[in-house]
Amino acid sequence: MKEIRIDFEKCTGCRHCETVCSLQHFEDKINPALSRIRIYVDMENDMHIPILAGPYTDAKCTSRYATVIGGKEYGKCILCRAACPERDIFFEPGTEVPLKCDLCGEPPDPACVKWCTSGALTFEEVDEEKEEETA
Amino acid sequence: MYGWMGKILRIDLTEHSYEIEDLDEDLAKEYMGGRGLATKILYDEIDPEIDAFDPDNKMIFATGPLTGTGAIGSSRFVVVTKSPLGNIGNGNAGGAFGPEIKFAGYDVIILEGKSPDPIYLWIEDDKIEFKPAEDLWGKTAHETEDQIKSQLAKESWKKRGVHVACIGPAGENLVKVAAIIVDKHNAAARGGIGAVMGSKNLKAIAIRGHKSIPIADPKAFKEVVSTLLDKVKDTPFTKNFFANGSSGILHIYNEVGMLATRNFQTGVFEKAEDIDAHLITEKHLVRNRACFSCPMACGGMTHVKDGPFAGRAERPDFETTWVFGADSGCNSIEAILKANNLCNDLGMDTISLGSTIAAAMEMFEKGYITEKDVGFSLKFGDAEAMVKLVEMTAYRKGFGDDVAEGGYHLTNKYGHPELFIGVKKLENPAYDPRACQGIGLNLATAARGACHNKGYTMISEILGDAVKIIPKTDPFATEGKAQLTKDLQDDSCIFDNAGICLFLLVNLWTKEILEQLEPATGAGYTMESMKLVGERTWNIERLFNQKAGLTGKDDTLPKRLLEEPMPEGPAKGRVCKLDEMLPEYYKLRGWDENGVPTEEKLNELGLD
Repeated sequence: MKEIRIDFEKCTGCRHCETVCSLQHFEDKINPALSRIRIYVDMENDMHIPILAGPYTDAKCTSRYATVIGGKEYGKCILCRAACPERDIFFEPGTEVPLKCDLCGEPPDPACVKWCTSGALTFEEVDEEKEEETA
Repeated sequence: MYGWMGKILRIDLTEHSYEIEDLDEDLAKEYMGGRGLATKILYDEIDPEIDAFDPDNKMIFATGPLTGTGAIGSSRFVVVTKSPLGNIGNGNAGGAFGPEIKFAGYDVIILEGKSPDPIYLWIEDDKIEFKPAEDLWGKTAHETEDQIKSQLAKESWKKRGVHVACIGPAGENLVKVAAIIVDKHNAAARGGIGAVMGSKNLKAIAIRGHKSIPIADPKAFKEVVSTLLDKVKDTPFTKNFFANGSSGILHIYNEVGMLATRNFQTGVFEKAEDIDAHLITEKHLVRNRACFSCPMACGGMTHVKDGPFAGRAERPDFETTWVFGADSGCNSIEAILKANNLCNDLGMDTISLGSTIAAAMEMFEKGYITEKDVGFSLKFGDAEAMVKLVEMTAYRKGFGDDVAEGGYHLTNKYGHPELFIGVKKLENPAYDPRACQGIGLNLATAARGACHNKGYTMISEILGDAVKIIPKTDPFATEGKAQLTKDLQDDSCIFDNAGICLFLLVNLWTKEILEQLEPATGAGYTMESMKLVGERTWNIERLFNQKAGLTGKDDTLPKRLLEEPMPEGPAKGRVCKLDEMLPEYYKLRGWDENGVPTEEKLNELGLD
C-alpha cells in the first residue's frame, strides 16, 4: 500500500499543495480553506509542517498529549489531522462539510505530491511490517 | 470574472467606514491588475501634486489576476501611493499577504484619509474592523505581528491563515526610507511608502480569507502549471536561488566589474569572497522559506549563534547583501544579517537605507562630516557603526535623523549633492551602469526612481548566455539598448500586474505568464495585448510623474556614473553613455524630445 510520506525538514511553506488540492477536489476553485492538506507555519522555530486532513470527529477531543517533532513540542490541537468541532480547519467554508484526504487519483496519485517541488511530500510504498517494528 | 475576485474594498480611515465596490471588468482587462491597475486608480483619484503625507493621498494595495492562484511565483501584491520623494511610489512584496487579499474576496484595497488615532485593520472576508492600535504604536514589525495574532486568537492553531502587513517605528516616525513589512520577512519597501502608512495612523492590516479564486479553464490551468513546475524546478538558477538565495548571483556581478562598491567609487569589491552567499548558507542558514507558490524558495531563516551580531535574521536578498556589504565596504556577513533583521523589524528599505549610510561614509572619509556630526567614526567597513546607524535612523536619533531623510537630503544638507547616487531622489541599486549600459538607461527612466526591477537588462547584458531567455548583448555597447530597455520595462509591468515575482525571470518570461494567465482568466489576452498593457502601465506612471512636476530633466544619472571613469576591473575607463541612448528611447516610447508622451501615443494606449 502506498502512503503520502511527509519530510517536514524539507518543506519550504510554499503551499503549492494547498492550491492544487482545492483545484483537484473543487474543479474550478483555488482556495486553501478548501484544501485537505494545510501547512502549519511555526515562525518561532522556522518550521513548515504539512498536515493531511484525517477523519472527522463530532466529539470534543480528550487527548492530553502534545506532539514532538524535531525536538519541538506542539500542543495537542496544533498538528492534529482531525476535522473536529473545536477548530475551523478541514471543513468546507459555508457548508461545513468535513474534508478528508482521499489520496486522489485513479489509481491513487495525489495532486499535492505532484506539485511539491521541495521533496517534503512523497508517495511511497509502505512496508507495513517494518513500520510496526519501528513504531 | 475568473482570476479576478471582481471586488474593491474602499476604506475611509478618517471616518472608520468602508464600502465594497465592483471592479470594472474592462478596466481590469485594460490594466490587468497590480501595479498598472493601482496606478490608474491613484491617477484618477488624487491630485499628483499633493504632499505624500496629506490625508488626501491614498494608498492602493492591489493584487493581480494570478496572485494566489498557484501560478508559479504568484505571491505578489503592490502598494502604490504618492511617494514622499515627490513622484509615484510603489513597492511590491511576496510572502502570502497578497494571496490572502484574494482569498478574502478582493483584488484591490483602497485606503483613504487619515485615522484620528492609531488603528489597525482586521479584515476577515466581508467583516472589516477598525481596531485600536495605541498599544502597538512604537512596537517593531515582528512584535506587532505577534501581538495582533495573539489578540485575534488565543490558541496558536487559530493564528494560521492570518497574514499581517505592518509598519515598524520607522514608518511611524515618517522616515523617508520606511517600508511596509509583510509576514515578518518580506517588504514592500521602496520609495518611503511605509512613511505614508504611518502618516495615516495605520499600524497594520491583518487579513484572513475563506473565499475561492474562480478559474476559467481549471484543467488547462492545472496542466500548464504542472508542466512549468517540471521545467523550472531543476534549472541551475532555481538550484542556485534555493541554495544561496538571490545573493547567489553576487559574485557574477563582481566578476564583470559592476558590483557598486563604497558608494559607487568602484565596481569591484576586493572582499566579495568574504560575503559570498554560500558562507551564509553554510554557517548560518536554518531552513529555506518560500513565498506563496514558489519553487525557488530564495528566502530562509538564519541564526547567528554568537558575537556582536548574534540573533535570528532573514536570509538577505542580493541587494541587501550588496548594500550592507560591498557598498558599505563591509565584509562581515554577520553584520549584513544583523542589519537586514533590523531593517525588517524596524520597517525600512535595505537598499535606500544602506545606500544613504554608504553616502554618509564617503562624506565622513572625505571630511565633509565629522565625529561631531555623527557621534562616532563612520568609515567604510565599520560594521558596528553601520548597524548602530540603522537603528538610530528608525528612531531618528542623533545623526539618524539626517539619514532618515534619505541620501538626497542628507548629501544636500551637508553641501555635497554629488555624493548622492540615485535617480529621482531614490537611491541606486547594486548595479554600476558604467559596466552595463542598458541598466543605466533603465535606472534613469524608471518612474519610481533608480530601480533595477523595472527593466532588468542584465538578463540580456550579463546573464544572457546562462539564462537563455533574451539573447545576449554586449554590456559595454549602447546600440540596441533603447529597444532592449523599453521591451524589458514593458515586460516587467506584466510580471508586476499579473502578480508574479520578478525573480522568476531567470526561469520564465511573459510567454509563460500568458500560458498561465489565459486558462486562469479566459480574458482573451495575447502577447500583443499584454505588451500594450505593459506600455499603458509605463505611460500612466509617466503621466502621474508629469502632473507631480517631474520632467525629462529628471531622466538622468548621478554625475559620478556619467563622468567619472570606472577606476578598475573589466569596465576600467568607462562611463555610462546615457546621452547615446536616451533620445532613441524617447522616440521608441512615442515621447517627444523632452520626454513627454505624444498625443498619438496616448491615443494608441487609450490614455487620452
